[in-house]
Amino acid sequence: MRANNLLSSISFIYLCFLFPALLFGQSDRNGDRRITGTYYISNTTLIPSPGKILTGQQLLFENGIIKALGKNIDIPAEAQEIKGDSLLVYPGFIDVANKTGMVEPTIPEKPDDFDPSEPLPEIAGIHPHFSAVDHYQEKNPHDQEWRKLGFTIAQKLPKGKGMLPGNSALVIYGHESRNNILSDNQSLYFKFSTVGGVYPNTDLGVMAKWRDLLQNARLYETHGEMYSEQSSLRRRESNPVLDALIPVINREIPVLIESSSELDIRRALKMQEENNFDLIITGINEGDALLPILKEKKTSAVLTLDLPDDKFSDPTEGEKGPDFEKRMERTKNAYLKSLSLAGEYEKAGIPFGFTTKHLSRTDFIKNIRLMIANGLSEEGALAALTVNPAEILQISAIAGTLSEGKMANMVLMSDTLFSEEAKVVMVISDGYLFDYSEKAQKIKDGASVWEYEAETEGRKSKGKWKFTKEDNNWSGTVSYDDPQTEGVKTSPIKNAVITEKSLAFTFSVEVGENALEVKVSGEVTGEKFSGNMEIKGYGNYQVKAKKLEKPEIK
Amino acid sequence: MQTKLILSVISTFWFIVVSQAQEISKGNVFIKNAHVITITNGLLEHTDVLVENGIISKIGSGLKEPKGVPVIDASGQFLMPGIIDAHSHLALEVINEASSPITAEVKMEDVIDPFDVGIYRALAGGTTVSHAMHGSANAIGGQNITLKHRYGTRDPDQLIMKEAPRTIKFALGENPIRVHGRGKNLQPRSRMGVEAVIRNGFEEALQYKADWEDWNASDKGKEKQQIPPVYNSRLETLVDILEGEIIIHCHSYRADEIYMLIKVCQEYGIDKIVFSHVNEGFKVAPELAKYTMGASVFADWWAYKFEVYYSTAYNAAILTKNGVVTSINSDSDELIRHLYHEAAKTQRYGGLTDDEALALITINPAKQLGIDKLVGSIEEGKQADLVLFDMHPLSIYAIPQMTWVDGVKYFDREKDASDQRIKVNPEETLEPIFLHTEHHNCMRDVDFYFTGFGRNLFGHSH
Repeated sequence: MRANNLLSSISFIYLCFLFPALLFGQSDRNGDRRITGTYYISNTTLIPSPGKILTGQQLLFENGIIKALGKNIDIPAEAQEIKGDSLLVYPGFIDVANKTGMVEPTIPEKPDDFDPSEPLPEIAGIHPHFSAVDHYQEKNPHDQEWRKLGFTIAQKLPKGKGMLPGNSALVIYGHESRNNILSDNQSLYFKFSTVGGVYPNTDLGVMAKWRDLLQNARLYETHGEMYSEQSSLRRRESNPVLDALIPVINREIPVLIESSSELDIRRALKMQEENNFDLIITGINEGDALLPILKEKKTSAVLTLDLPDDKFSDPTEGEKGPDFEKRMERTKNAYLKSLSLAGEYEKAGIPFGFTTKHLSRTDFIKNIRLMIANGLSEEGALAALTVNPAEILQISAIAGTLSEGKMANMVLMSDTLFSEEAKVVMVISDGYLFDYSEKAQKIKDGASVWEYEAETEGRKSKGKWKFTKEDNNWSGTVSYDDPQTEGVKTSPIKNAVITEKSLAFTFSVEVGENALEVKVSGEVTGEKFSGNMEIKGYGNYQVKAKKLEKPEIK
Repeated sequence: MQTKLILSVISTFWFIVVSQAQEISKGNVFIKNAHVITITNGLLEHTDVLVENGIISKIGSGLKEPKGVPVIDASGQFLMPGIIDAHSHLALEVINEASSPITAEVKMEDVIDPFDVGIYRALAGGTTVSHAMHGSANAIGGQNITLKHRYGTRDPDQLIMKEAPRTIKFALGENPIRVHGRGKNLQPRSRMGVEAVIRNGFEEALQYKADWEDWNASDKGKEKQQIPPVYNSRLETLVDILEGEIIIHCHSYRADEIYMLIKVCQEYGIDKIVFSHVNEGFKVAPELAKYTMGASVFADWWAYKFEVYYSTAYNAAILTKNGVVTSINSDSDELIRHLYHEAAKTQRYGGLTDDEALALITINPAKQLGIDKLVGSIEEGKQADLVLFDMHPLSIYAIPQMTWVDGVKYFDREKDASDQRIKVNPEETLEPIFLHTEHHNCMRDVDFYFTGFGRNLFGHSH
């Protein structure tokens, strides 16, 4: 039985190698020009929710919705097969409180007679009316990288230096051709931080300001109600800041408070006690002493995946007295305690989610494994990435598990999630397929150099493209004749996407005070490139390039 | 039998965990045969003190040893009330909200840091209560909080002395002038400006109070003909000061500014005011005695900036002899460890008696904080904040041996471990040592307002 399986998978891989398109028929795997929105994963292992394992399953999804799953389900004729043997299918991960792809909002200039004790709310970092949706770059490369790790839905927080940067949004890491906003004004984002140099300037001012804002939001609402019944009253002047707080006092949306310490968590709980709103605390990195209180209050908790650095595997040399050893021991215990925090939450029966904010992508699985090695169960870890955040973000009806009627968001793994060998083979997000199998990325890591020639307005230009790869991201430089002098200039390569058959990137050329945006894209056949160079606002030009055999990059 | 035992252990443990979450721990102790320095009733030789449930229940000779209560044989040792520091910035995450000339709305209780190892060090110096104050950057600063040094808790609220009345920080002179006037070109830019800021604050508070009274009085239930006023916790707090609910603790140096604020307070009917630092207090001692709740001074520290050029080490003694309720404060996490030395200096400079000198760090600061009915002396019915010295605390050789708060022993020299931190940073294998230790002081958190010239002027601490 076993040998048979092995044999069939070997021949399967062999076939795939020979005929890359075999796996999914004619349709391209990433759905750029897909012929159907109906797929089924055949003969696979499903982990529909933490702790459940179903083998020999089929899963059918259509237009982004899971239609059926089970051993014997009806597969419509147009459904394309995704071979699921040897794969494990997990629900897509959900990230809470994340800022990738967000841009800083525009803040008004300080006036000449600026009084830092009474700044405009926006200058003081108080702009709860700003929406994350308005400041989100949907096609940012970071989210695509997070999707490669299995994330399909994220809560996006607005950027901003002060205490109330705005309201959060839920987005899907779906296909780039779609609008992927799931909902906006999903929660009000609060943090213990200030712009600096204006009121409020410290946590002291932040706490006081918050109390005043909420109290005044109530009075503002009262005024509005009175005025709507009695037009002879003084009209209510529109106040976007207070308007944005009314859903909080009416408990229509929660406040998401970002903490960076145990004392921040205490402050958040105190704020809630004073003003009675729904609370999510994110960024939790310490404070196991608070578990009974959090449990009693049923506070929604989001733990940071960004763990402290390990300073113990490789201790510094030096003179060591007993005091040093003792202190070292305490520090180490503190470190181990932070690794076991997630496990402690699980033991206490507090459902929690994870946030990737501040986390380097390469640490994602590594840190979860560390948490697992320190007491968190694998089911608990999966729950923190799926069902729990769905609950916290109130999207359990559409996400968090693999079940009929939910969004087709899933992660197809080559092995048990969190095991050393496990690799993400494919991510399905909003019903779109993103293939990360090794077959799809046969490009060798490392450097490559291309010599190009382009024809622009009757003039030939030459230069080199140098590509290097780091953390799965391509970067590099492009050299060209300086349009202003005789010399050669270089610019950094941006947004590079390199596959076996295509190459695309952008760069900018500074001409005086202006910058020309140049977009290069085309096809690769063997060592040759042929394509197009678009200079924004000017036109399209042909470009050809040849790969150099010995890259000069070290 | 075994299971029963385990069950009872578990239930006891559970009780402790639960009760810790809500209630302040209180202890029992029997201290035998000590020299008891009562402060309010002289020195009692060979005296026993019984503490039950955090309260001093009996003082006397040859008391019967109670069962199940820890007994301390204090023969030859000196027991005094826990030392009280009326001006401190210990155990605070933030000190100054320096961004406005008046910040009466901010509360130090929001930024208590129970992990500050300085609390333990203060206990090791016999200090059991400190007045955690806002800094002196603003004419009217934030609301202070009176702390009991219940070191070991992770809950900031457990450090709060709940019975203590509200207090607030005011500051006169150079600090608010420099921060707001020179730093940001706002009022106050002079001593006159400081007075104007305070008066304007009070006037606005009166208008605010009237607005709310109007609103509250307008027909309830029926259609109101008014719109709701804007809520303003800054003015709300100033109203509370005017109504006598809050004790002012005012940072001040010069006699003229002290007298100025006395007059302003009289005008607004405020009688709850304590002056801090008060280096020229000796010049207005009769006025301080007549119109205020006293003065809290340094023993022998001045000339660290221009406005405090002129002072004397006899200040505390002169004030005391003039009937001013006088205390000696630390304003420093270091000085708070040996306030008994500071008190002793008044015997060298001014010849105060033992009781007078020790009152400066016990019952007098308690009066200034409005907690003298609860702490500050060893009397039956008072809270058992106590410190046991091996010698008379006014001797330079005296060393605190044990310190209790509410009858719970938080410091014992015998059990003094080298590492007393509650919380350890998992990323810091060795804590860094700074050549310039950051003093907690009146002007912390305001640096960023100054560059070059301004910053040099701020090399001082208070």
